Amino acid sequence: MKITLKSALRDYSMLIALAAIWAFFGIEHPVFLSSRNLSLLLIELSITASLALGMLLVLLPGQIDLSAGSGVGLSGALAAVLVFSHGAPAPLALLASMAACVVVWSAMGALIVRQRIPAFIITLGGLLVFKGLHWLTIKGQTVPVSEGGKANLYSLLTTYYLPAIAGYVLAALVVAALCWSLLRARARRASYGFQVPDTERTFLTLFIAAQLVFLLVVVTNQYRGLPLPALILGTLALFVYVLTAHTPFGRYLYAIGSNEEAAFISGVPIQRTVVIAFALMGGVVALTGFMQTAYAGASTSTVGSLMELDAVAACVIGGTSLRGGRGSVTGVLFGALIMASLLNGMTLMAVSPEIKFIARGVVLALAVWVDVKLNAD
Amino acid sequence: MSALAAAHAPVLATRELVKRFPGVTALGGVSFDLLPGEVHALCGENGAGKSTLIKLLSGIHVHGSYEGTLLAAGREVKFSSTRDAEAAGIAVIYQELALVPEMTVAENLCLGHAPVRRGLIDWDAVYTQAARVLKMAKIELDPTAEVKNLGVAERQLVEIAKALSKDPKVLILDEPTAALSDDEVQRLLDVVRDLKARGIAAIYISHKFEEVFAIADRITVLRDGKSVVTLATQDTSPETVIRHMVGRPITELFPRRPNATGEVLLSVSDLTVAPHRGAPPRLTGLSFEVRAGEVLGIGGLMGAGRSELLLHLFGAWGARLAGRVKLAEIELKATNPHHALRAGLALVSEDRKRYGLFLESAIGFNLSLSSLSQLQKGGLLDESAEVARSQALFSSLRVKAPGLETVVRTLSGGNQQKVVIGKALMTEPKVLLLDEPTRGIDVGAKLEVYELINRLCAEGKAIVLVSSELPELLGMSDRIVMLAEGRLGGTFSRAEATQERLLSAALGRRSVATLAQPS
Repeated sequence: MKITLKSALRDYSMLIALAAIWAFFGIEHPVFLSSRNLSLLLIELSITASLALGMLLVLLPGQIDLSAGSGVGLSGALAAVLVFSHGAPAPLALLASMAACVVVWSAMGALIVRQRIPAFIITLGGLLVFKGLHWLTIKGQTVPVSEGGKANLYSLLTTYYLPAIAGYVLAALVVAALCWSLLRARARRASYGFQVPDTERTFLTLFIAAQLVFLLVVVTNQYRGLPLPALILGTLALFVYVLTAHTPFGRYLYAIGSNEEAAFISGVPIQRTVVIAFALMGGVVALTGFMQTAYAGASTSTVGSLMELDAVAACVIGGTSLRGGRGSVTGVLFGALIMASLLNGMTLMAVSPEIKFIARGVVLALAVWVDVKLNAD
Repeated sequence: MSALAAAHAPVLATRELVKRFPGVTALGGVSFDLLPGEVHALCGENGAGKSTLIKLLSGIHVHGSYEGTLLAAGREVKFSSTRDAEAAGIAVIYQELALVPEMTVAENLCLGHAPVRRGLIDWDAVYTQAARVLKMAKIELDPTAEVKNLGVAERQLVEIAKALSKDPKVLILDEPTAALSDDEVQRLLDVVRDLKARGIAAIYISHKFEEVFAIADRITVLRDGKSVVTLATQDTSPETVIRHMVGRPITELFPRRPNATGEVLLSVSDLTVAPHRGAPPRLTGLSFEVRAGEVLGIGGLMGAGRSELLLHLFGAWGARLAGRVKLAEIELKATNPHHALRAGLALVSEDRKRYGLFLESAIGFNLSLSSLSQLQKGGLLDESAEVARSQALFSSLRVKAPGLETVVRTLSGGNQQKVVIGKALMTEPKVLLLDEPTRGIDVGAKLEVYELINRLCAEGKAIVLVSSELPELLGMSDRIVMLAEGRLGGTFSRAEATQERLLSAALGRRSVATLAQPS
């Protein structure tokens, strides 16, 4: 394969953008690269990326969820009110709130595929309704996630850090799993007679990945250790990856997004697939809601606001098509990292909220434009 | 140049055209002359270079991107845009229609150059101009009709009128009859003849020899990007043209080999279906059977309900008002394709790009999509099994592509069709429904599809073949059912079927259906 400047730019455009953003903030504001800030960035990334991974599941079959941000606020508020005002045990409160979200999102999915109402409209309605329900739930108050500042499962979601040794063990396990799965996938591709990347490249990829994993643990251990949200994100990313790349359900998502009519004639259970995608999105929205609310310490009326747009932006920057049929977990993770880094860096530099909005909007438009340019042949 | 020489000089000519794309040579030397007032047919298999040649003649591939010369009225022309080609008097009617469905005929005719008065569109002028253009082309159409309400044939005529409104010297028709019924084809051919009488030369591209021989004065055959031969129509035969197209003689065009039939696999009785509940039925009282090892041909005019019948059996269309469908003794309710596939029914749809393929995905993705429920182990895809089965089909269907990971969009029409058929076959169906399986694919690929039909029958599958081409129906079916406006027009055995009988049954002239079973 010939590597031209353009193909290199296309393959590594996100890495280059990320490096540029980090270099800029690192030089302008060295605190950006401190272990404390990188730990916080990791938590923020975990929250943004989780929601974006859920969004990927609905974007792949050509749908969209505009209600995700409001949902984040509402699910966090429900759990917080159950814990703080009704004294419910945190695990039970989280479970109840998540179950409610799964049910409501399944219902939205069913309305979309059975009644043929566009997802844009249904979830736009959801955005408004859930925002209203969110405010009704907290009655305009600030509802903390735990009583009297005591730690519970809810508050620990973003305040628990893995002990240093556990972090290293985990990193070793992850690297081992990575090596095993990459080499196995390679061997299988070779046995099918497919093209495999050359050995050097495979080892280089593995080497860099292993370095990054250990670096991550070393850096976070310098602060308090690996934050729990990173673990949640890792698990979720693995789950979504296996789901999209290695199950019939995942194939159906791509098929529906690429050509719904052909998918129908090919016997793809379209209604069931889309409803399940929305049900999963409901679960992810709840999970993100808990992390975001816990990170804020309490449910307030602004939690989750506009997060659906960050999630869509992360997906799109990561190469997901809004028409469906195209997108990957790694792309979304990169997209989320770019969005989270921007926001974190700008907050550090005390950029005003007005400029933050403008900068994020410009980056989104710019990223898609560059993608279109680089992919045009 | 003298007046006499000018009159006989070709209106359009090419000399040794060569067009290269990265990795492929699409045209490797094409020379031909289009004389004034002649209809010149271009024949060739898919991939022979017809489309590329048209794009060159119409200024889509601009001067400088190819080698060789292009001559219009004896002079070299260098098109740098489609407008240049239009200015030189070349008008093209493309395979894919380029009309705006929501607009009226007149609006479409004036699209892009609507008459304007004081900055506003002059609607009176739009409609009078359109009426004039239609009258000139002897096309009877209401200029105020919305295009979305017109049939395919009428849309085609609008396209021609649109091309004529530019006052061309040369008209290029690219597969103009692909979606037309016989009647409509005649109407179109009449229009072309009329234009010819007025001195407009035409390049006519079609896979259908009947039309080519009915309309063309001369035929140029393209093969592998080269112009092989130019023949005068009156001195040649379809066999000769085919021989030049494939470069070898084809002994049998339809190699159907009937074999012993087995048990009844698909039985349909008194089937009445409407598009949706409450609507008048589109299919009425249909009954037929298909046995293992048998090909049942289904014919009929456009709108007779052939495709609707197949889609309904497959669970993809309509509400059943009455009747029963049984597949090997299992009652088929036809609620959705998912269930039909499970029961052992598979469909190859007529519109492969719309209903068959995931163009941007790999061949492997396409092949296995309908069979994924059989290819899982503990919820995960069994990728080794998937690849093994895809690979087996890929080789047995002889798909011409580097491998399973090749993106389907890059394949030729015939190979894309093989992928669609492969997707159906991977589900291991008992009954295979084929809707126009050879539409828009070249002679070689057609033969392969026919051979495949033979092989599947020999394996004991039952096949329902829908085709709008009577020779194909006659050549490949063991029995033929003709539909006429959603009703049974007649059932014929292979022995008693003739073009005339089938056609009259399709027109509903035969009130009593002759029920004949092969004895």
